Amino acid sequence: MRLYLIVSASPSLCPGDNPQATHLPRAWAPLARPPPHGSRLTADLFSTNPGALKSPVSEQTTTPEDQRSPEDPLTPPPPAASLTPEPHNPGTPPDLFESVAEGPVVVQGGSPKLSSVPLDLPAGGNGGEGKQQEQEEPQGPVEAALSIEGEGEGDVTSSDLIPDPSSNPVPPPALLHDPPNFLGDTDTTEVSLDDGKTKAEGDGGDEFIQITVSDPQKIGDGMSSYMAYKVTTKTNVSYFRKKHWSVMRRFSDFLGLHRKLVEKHLHSGRVIPPAPEKSAIGTTKIKLGSDKNADSGSLDFIERRRAALERYMNRTSTHPTLRADPDFREFVELDAELPRATQTSALSSAGVLRLLNRVGETVNKMTFKMDESDQWFEERTQQIESLDAQLRKLHASMERLVNYRRELALSTAAFAKATAVLSSVEEHSSLSRALHQLSESTERTQTIHHAQADADFYVLSENTKDYIQLISAVKDVFHERVKTFQTWQHAQITLAKKREAKAKAELAGRMDKVQQAQEEVTEWEGKVERSQEEFERISRAIKKEMEQFDVMRVKDFRDMVIKYLEDLMTSQQQIIKVWETFIPEAKAIS
Amino acid sequence: MAPILFQDGMEDVLPSETNGTKSGRSDTVDLNDSTLQVDISDALSEREKVKFTVHTKTTLPDYAKPEFSVVRQHEEFIWLHDRFDENEDYAGYIIPPPPPRPDFDASREKLQKLGEGEGSMTKEEFSKMKQELEAEYLATFKKTVAMHEVFLTRLAQHTVFRNDHNFKVFLEYEQDLSVRTKNKKEKVEGLFKSFNKSTDEILLAATQKDVDDYFEREKTFLLEYHMAIKDATTKADKMTQAHKSVADSYIQLSSGLSQLGTIEGPRLEKFINKVADTFEKARKVEGRVSSDEDLKLSDTLRYYVRDGSAAKDLLYRRLRCLANYEQANKNLDRARAKNKDVHAPVDVADAELAQQNACEKFEHISNKAKEELNDLKARRVTAFKKNLIELAELELKHAKAQAQLLKSCLQSLPEE
Repeated sequence: MRLYLIVSASPSLCPGDNPQATHLPRAWAPLARPPPHGSRLTADLFSTNPGALKSPVSEQTTTPEDQRSPEDPLTPPPPAASLTPEPHNPGTPPDLFESVAEGPVVVQGGSPKLSSVPLDLPAGGNGGEGKQQEQEEPQGPVEAALSIEGEGEGDVTSSDLIPDPSSNPVPPPALLHDPPNFLGDTDTTEVSLDDGKTKAEGDGGDEFIQITVSDPQKIGDGMSSYMAYKVTTKTNVSYFRKKHWSVMRRFSDFLGLHRKLVEKHLHSGRVIPPAPEKSAIGTTKIKLGSDKNADSGSLDFIERRRAALERYMNRTSTHPTLRADPDFREFVELDAELPRATQTSALSSAGVLRLLNRVGETVNKMTFKMDESDQWFEERTQQIESLDAQLRKLHASMERLVNYRRELALSTAAFAKATAVLSSVEEHSSLSRALHQLSESTERTQTIHHAQADADFYVLSENTKDYIQLISAVKDVFHERVKTFQTWQHAQITLAKKREAKAKAELAGRMDKVQQAQEEVTEWEGKVERSQEEFERISRAIKKEMEQFDVMRVKDFRDMVIKYLEDLMTSQQQIIKVWETFIPEAKAIS
Repeated sequence: MAPILFQDGMEDVLPSETNGTKSGRSDTVDLNDSTLQVDISDALSEREKVKFTVHTKTTLPDYAKPEFSVVRQHEEFIWLHDRFDENEDYAGYIIPPPPPRPDFDASREKLQKLGEGEGSMTKEEFSKMKQELEAEYLATFKKTVAMHEVFLTRLAQHTVFRNDHNFKVFLEYEQDLSVRTKNKKEKVEGLFKSFNKSTDEILLAATQKDVDDYFEREKTFLLEYHMAIKDATTKADKMTQAHKSVADSYIQLSSGLSQLGTIEGPRLEKFINKVADTFEKARKVEGRVSSDEDLKLSDTLRYYVRDGSAAKDLLYRRLRCLANYEQANKNLDRARAKNKDVHAPVDVADAELAQQNACEKFEHISNKAKEELNDLKARRVTAFKKNLIELAELELKHAKAQAQLLKSCLQSLPEE
């Protein structure tokens, strides 16, 4: 493997010191040979343009501060390096720093990876190298240069440094975690789409957790492509490792999380917030469309989905039990890609199985009428049903409002254009001006209407839709309880049967059968007990959950309505401004 | 549809159309230079037609009584307009555009749809929407009355038109004018006539060179302007429609919310009811915005589309006259040439006479036309100014009202 040792020159190193500086091209040639010939290397290095000489170490030091180019460190540095110095004038000192700065662009890659490497070096290398971490310190380079000058020592440096690039490929992700402080408080850019980033920011306040979903990106091409989202978490909850960080997740990851949570928690009576639905049409459009052709329709779809994912994450995280769930934590924290939740695909065997299950359950729901002894549940079930129906109706009228307002925005825009044309045709000058103003004012109102339509949609309509889905999650939980009841009933019936069987056996005097029957009776007694417990437990849990759910629901609803009204009010105020500016213009018509 | 009696009260629509009278004044309806005052005091809407009660007050000697009323229908207005249009004496004037046919189809359709969907909404919602539709119907009705009235007032104020015999008949004759709507044959004839006219127009426009630069310019301007303003009118209409739909959808939102309130129970009920109430009020304001936009903006634009059309007609007539004049000239020359030897002065005299008539006519028209066009311009500017100001002020008022409404709602809400 080729290795280039390039020492960043200090100001004290004048190009004049290197009589062979001008022999740059020739000097590089020998370097093309495989490295470990340290002294030869260093001599040549020294003889070549000091500005071009850099150790990978200092290369790496410059990168965090200078460049954040995510190039592969291992792609042939030599030719690249040989090229970089040449364009510069080897002679002038200012260029030294320039080339120092530029080198990393071409040669250096995967900056955080390499930059983290040197940390290990100081342990192994000499102190000078450690100092080389900071670009500002000339001593490091000087020392390296000195050490290179002393050709014997050059061996040490070079041989020390030689193995390093080979160690570069050591898993970067691991390194990323360890020295977050190395990068200081500056942001690192995203290296690759699958890695996370670390931010060393603190956050205070009461126990809280807030998740934002952003930066939807299309990864890959064609049918195998998918959308990835950046999930940023801010929290001060203790069992999370950091206070503020991001990971990249794809859509199926979210669905996978939901499924796992449902599997684990539904039967304990928890209400699991539903995840956004899969949409075949929207997804296919995204997959097959190119980035440039992203029309407003698919952008809308992406935005909708992003907002829905954000709401989903926040709802799930406010639930203390779900928040502590290891799957949830892994989802939110793990920096690497999650294992593909293949079972979320609609066409997989698991998907088909789920579908069948769901059909079975629906039938069950319809046919089994539970003997409700608990008044509370009776009332709540009723209420949930009517709430569901009413919310659906409300949602429909909200969607109508959104559509009409969007239409209003469009027709206002058309009118603005027509008025502009009219104003240009009008020969009376002040009337023409006024008409032009009218056109502009209408243009502005159009923007306001459009923004309001978006608010209508995202604040009002989408939230209501979420609630409809939440209600069906609640219904699912209620149904779980019904199922538990069923199990209990079934157990009781079986117990009765077994007791009967035992009594019969006793009458018939069949002692062996009696023994067996006795065992079965005991077994089923146990089952009855357990299922009763289970039933009561789930009933209690649901009651608690519902309390919390109610509180949350009421609060959410109020917040939503208040926000919406505020938006409406802002729109109106903006409209006021528009017309206020127009009136003097109209009055000015002579 | 039950008959709706119309009482006076459309003054706010009138002024916009009747400003800029012949005497150049731009202040409003007070027809004080009038010894002839015409208005529509009453109107009745029956199944298919609307009956207008035309009321006249006059001090002119020609009229039998100083004050009287007759009942007229839309077709009779059109008849009157046609009489003016055909009259060659008026060729140099812009004939006030006829009022459009009263059209309640849209409202009727909506009412029907509402009736069909009655099952899917609550009683409250249904009655609210019905109220809205009825208000809409009423508004359309008022508008059509106003337009008919404007037509008449313009005629009454015009120094030449007001003395027209047909006008007098229209105002006075107590019986039905027995203007039957054109039967099929006449309709087809009418179609042909207008077709001819438009081809002639195009032909003339292409071939006839106007001697007067002013008129050339006017023609081009009017054509362009006409297209632009027609476009603006359609777009304005669409916009006001959309606005109305937004306002109407608030109704469903409001009632949906109140129902939700009853289900939710005490915790949220008060909150929700306040919000539902706010939406209801907001809806009314939005509705007003829509109708005001319609009135001030769309109607103004629409009226000037029609007026512009009438001006175009004037120009056309003038051009035709010019063509005739040039033709007469040619005839005269030809006659003179033909009759040079034979000295048959009759032909020549005829041709001369014809040429002279044509010349006079043309000059007359040209002068009048110039006046009329300038007048139109002035009228248009003032009308636009007035309506734009009023539009802006109304929009401002409504926006402020809505903002206030929402603010007070928000303030009263956070009561846990």
